[in-house]
Amino acid sequence: MSVVAPITHEQAPLLARPFYGDGDPGPITATMAHVPELLEVALPFIGAVLSPSSIAFRTKEIVILRTSSVMACRYCIDSHTPVALDAGLTAGQVRALRGEVGHDVVTAFSDQRERTLIAWADEVAQGKGAASDETTAAMVAAFASHEIVELTLLATVTLLLNRYASTLRLPVAGATIERLAADGFERAA
Amino acid sequence: MSTSVGAVAEAIDEGVLGERVWFYANYHCNLACTYCLTESAPNVARRQLDADWMVARANEARELGFRSLGVTGGEPFMVSTMPDTIARLADVLPTVVLSNATLFHGTRLDHVADAFAGRPIHIQVSLDAPDAADNDAGRGDDNFNDVTNAIPRLVERDLKIRIATTTVGLDDESLARLCELHRSWGIPDEDHVVRPIVARGRAALSDMGGVVAGAADFAAELCLTADGAFWSAFGPTVRNGEVDTDLLVTRQTAPVSVPAAAMLRIARGAPRGDDARLGIR
Repeated sequence: MSVVAPITHEQAPLLARPFYGDGDPGPITATMAHVPELLEVALPFIGAVLSPSSIAFRTKEIVILRTSSVMACRYCIDSHTPVALDAGLTAGQVRALRGEVGHDVVTAFSDQRERTLIAWADEVAQGKGAASDETTAAMVAAFASHEIVELTLLATVTLLLNRYASTLRLPVAGATIERLAADGFERAA
Repeated sequence: MSTSVGAVAEAIDEGVLGERVWFYANYHCNLACTYCLTESAPNVARRQLDADWMVARANEARELGFRSLGVTGGEPFMVSTMPDTIARLADVLPTVVLSNATLFHGTRLDHVADAFAGRPIHIQVSLDAPDAADNDAGRGDDNFNDVTNAIPRLVERDLKIRIATTTVGLDDESLARLCELHRSWGIPDEDHVVRPIVARGRAALSDMGGVVAGAADFAAELCLTADGAFWSAFGPTVRNGEVDTDLLVTRQTAPVSVPAAAMLRIARGAPRGDDARLGIR
């Protein structure tokens, strides 16, 4: 059960209403709506970082799902598992990113660039201070400066959402749970 | 994001933004009216605003271009220092305070009269019907007697009194008798406001037939409370103990420039205040 009750469509504050559309905006928006002046600046920023951009959909989902897995954010892992599948990742790759037993990223990912990205995401999520010199050098070799900037923003926004969703114990949508079951995935532990 | 000096005054001149800033000074009340917007009663959470805080916000409001203040609750005079606080607010901008007028006895009446003397302060007193039975049905036993005894005492002390009648529909004959009553106290018709019961707060939980209203129905008046800044004094209503958020503007209330900026952005896309459908103010 969510620590904070999501604000319903009927009770949506004035500044939050554009983010509700015609119905349920999801628990992140519906809880942030408690502080509408923060919602109206935070959501467009978060949305811009997570939305389609010059970085490939698949690449972004690798970062989001891996970061969420390292942070053990059940909400984000469950919510992004179907998204990652839709982005073209195989079930084995998604299981590896989720950190499931018997699935490792070295086996699942043959592309060295993606392996580098995963190693870097691991260090961004886990590390204190800068990523290691080795991983940083590999990232600089594999990605352009603007890509590193955007991927870093993506990882850090994901970290923000990981802590937000975990701390507030946001509930996973019913449709997502059904989709996980249909794709043969257990819910994140 | 805050708003610049001048933007508020311009919006007020254009009729986009109301000139008054409201304070919900407190939420507790010695009455428990059946249609109360805030479910006020003696033992509810007080959600009280600090006096110095209100004065600081009043000064900011004046700097921004707001032109008057309102104080409501709950019953503001449940707070013993409220007469002095309102006097301080009125030294910043003309102030109206909404009251049930049932606490003006003895030294408290003296306190109010002394503090308000010579200051631009109106006390807006609730009186809903010309008869005890009809009035007291919504406002509680003996309220009519208490109020009709109090108002002449207030007028005698040269306090400026307005009457507010909240009703689902007063027939012509009753309205005429009510007007005769306030005129007999020397209160002119322009100082008598008749307004509908709004289906918010306690009224939303009953079948009394209040008006269903949203932001477009209320004048764009900034309202500061312990829970945040709201669109209109009809905004920070309470239902089943929870503050409604549908008319919440910002949680941040200080400095006033922050919620004022948000109000302006919303108001620029909303009906002009003087075009509000129900003219609820």
